[in-house]
Amino acid sequence: MLLLGIETTCDETSAAVVERAGNGSGTIRSNIVLSQLDEHRPFGGVVPEIAARAHVQVLDEVIKKAMEKAGVEFSALDGVAASAGPGLIGGVIVGLTTAKAISFALEKPLVAINHLEAHALTARLIHKLDFPYLLLLVSGGHTQLVFVEAVGAYTRIGTTRDDAIGEAFDKTAKLLGLPYPGGPAVERCALDGDPKRFSLPRPMIGRPEPDFSLSGLKTAIRLEAEKIAPISRQDIADLCASFQAAITDVIVDRVQAALQNLGHSGKTPNAIVVAGGVAANRTIRNTMEELAISLRLPLVIPPAELCTDNGAMVAWAGAERLALDMTDPLDIKPRARWPLDIGPAPVGNSA
Amino acid sequence: MRVLAIDTALDACSAAVIDTAGDRVLASESREIGRGHAEQLLPIVESVMKKAGVKFDAIDRFAVTIGPGSFTGLRVGLSAARGFGLVTKKPVVGISTLAAFTAPLITQDQAVPVVAAIDAKHGNLYMQMVGAGGRTLITPRAAGLRETVRAVALGPVRIVGTGAAILAAHWPAKAPPPTLVEQRAAPDIEWVARIGAVADPAQAAPKPLYLKLPDAQPPASARIAQR
Repeated sequence: MLLLGIETTCDETSAAVVERAGNGSGTIRSNIVLSQLDEHRPFGGVVPEIAARAHVQVLDEVIKKAMEKAGVEFSALDGVAASAGPGLIGGVIVGLTTAKAISFALEKPLVAINHLEAHALTARLIHKLDFPYLLLLVSGGHTQLVFVEAVGAYTRIGTTRDDAIGEAFDKTAKLLGLPYPGGPAVERCALDGDPKRFSLPRPMIGRPEPDFSLSGLKTAIRLEAEKIAPISRQDIADLCASFQAAITDVIVDRVQAALQNLGHSGKTPNAIVVAGGVAANRTIRNTMEELAISLRLPLVIPPAELCTDNGAMVAWAGAERLALDMTDPLDIKPRARWPLDIGPAPVGNSA
Repeated sequence: MRVLAIDTALDACSAAVIDTAGDRVLASESREIGRGHAEQLLPIVESVMKKAGVKFDAIDRFAVTIGPGSFTGLRVGLSAARGFGLVTKKPVVGISTLAAFTAPLITQDQAVPVVAAIDAKHGNLYMQMVGAGGRTLITPRAAGLRETVRAVALGPVRIVGTGAAILAAHWPAKAPPPTLVEQRAAPDIEWVARIGAVADPAQAAPKPLYLKLPDAQPPASARIAQR
């Protein structure tokens, strides 16, 4: 089955065509991603109205390119999938409405995808992976540990109580005067830094509930930096490296807490999956690999371009749902907030 | 020519199918909903297509309002129309809400100029002034209420749109009063279709007409001093 996937929840406009074979394996036929980084850079973060304007300006061309690259006609599609949230509502509306129009014009099913679900299922697009698995979802907007039991069956077992990990990276970058986007900038700087120079807190470590809390870490960075201000390039590198070391320690501990938590309820994941934009970070990837080896659990981390927002993951989630006849009506509501473990999106004008 | 027109730029969520042969409205539906266009538009399109009794591939052209209006609302219509155009490979034309307000009045009577005014909140209007033969006297713009009154209250005019009543209420006592004040929540969707039928696709791109920049300021820097 052949699915078109549309992703517009944040600052990437993306469309992709993905094929799902009868045996459940997936092939990416095209995956066009247009980043709005340049539009948002002057503001040091994503500006919702600017994002929405950029999405509507380019989305149809991005879809056209995705179809051309895949070498398929619209009539060959079996369904149309779009992220229906959570995310910046202006962008979500553009992507979902476009998908509705295409679905209606083609008389093909619409599949409204929870953006987090798309991240959660990406591992099955690139890897033969059976349910259940433990998902560590880390991005600019989300930091969650999720037990993935089946398509549509997700149990969130841990989340952040304040900042998302990606947000912590961005705020650290801003504080240290690093360019936007902050995640890759901090990672680059950390390469030349001493991760042991600053002893930063590891919030939540040792706690049984697999949650995160990162706002204190951000404050600690500020205090350390203020102590030695004005800061040199080496100071910045050391602060970045120390920050990343703290984050990875926290992640390792929280994943272990999640596994223990699952163990107590008699649940055994087949693998650990890491997804979301922050999963593109090399240090985090390496740390997770070491952890998985020590735990003797398979680890699946999609390639970086499938960890950041993209249409292929949405098309794939659409294919997984469509294969189970999970389709959505044309009056489905776009949602700014949509927790992964709370049912399908409502329909109609309910809020 | 069969035209499917949609409008979600203001309070209404509307769709109509017309056939220019004999100027027939095959189906038309307009709901004043205020918000929730993203949920309601496609069901309304589905409903008018059913009533019109034509297959989707029998539509020759799509017409959509491009604003000015609600930023989010106008993007709903544009996303849908451009999605339709993408799949069917039929032209999509963009019609401004201001043009859609003025067209029926100018068609009725060419002599008295028409001011289309859309409430842009906080004492502002989106406006355009059209004279004889549909000639533009003031191009579409966002302007303050006072500034608008000064520019348009010079002779007899007709005013129409979501901001018509506000504009009329601020009309100067000395100026000749408007000969018509037509307060409307949204353009007549059948007129959006009619203008869409005659618009030149090369000149009427389906692109947003915001008339206002996004409300965004670069943040104040909170960075640590560097050497």
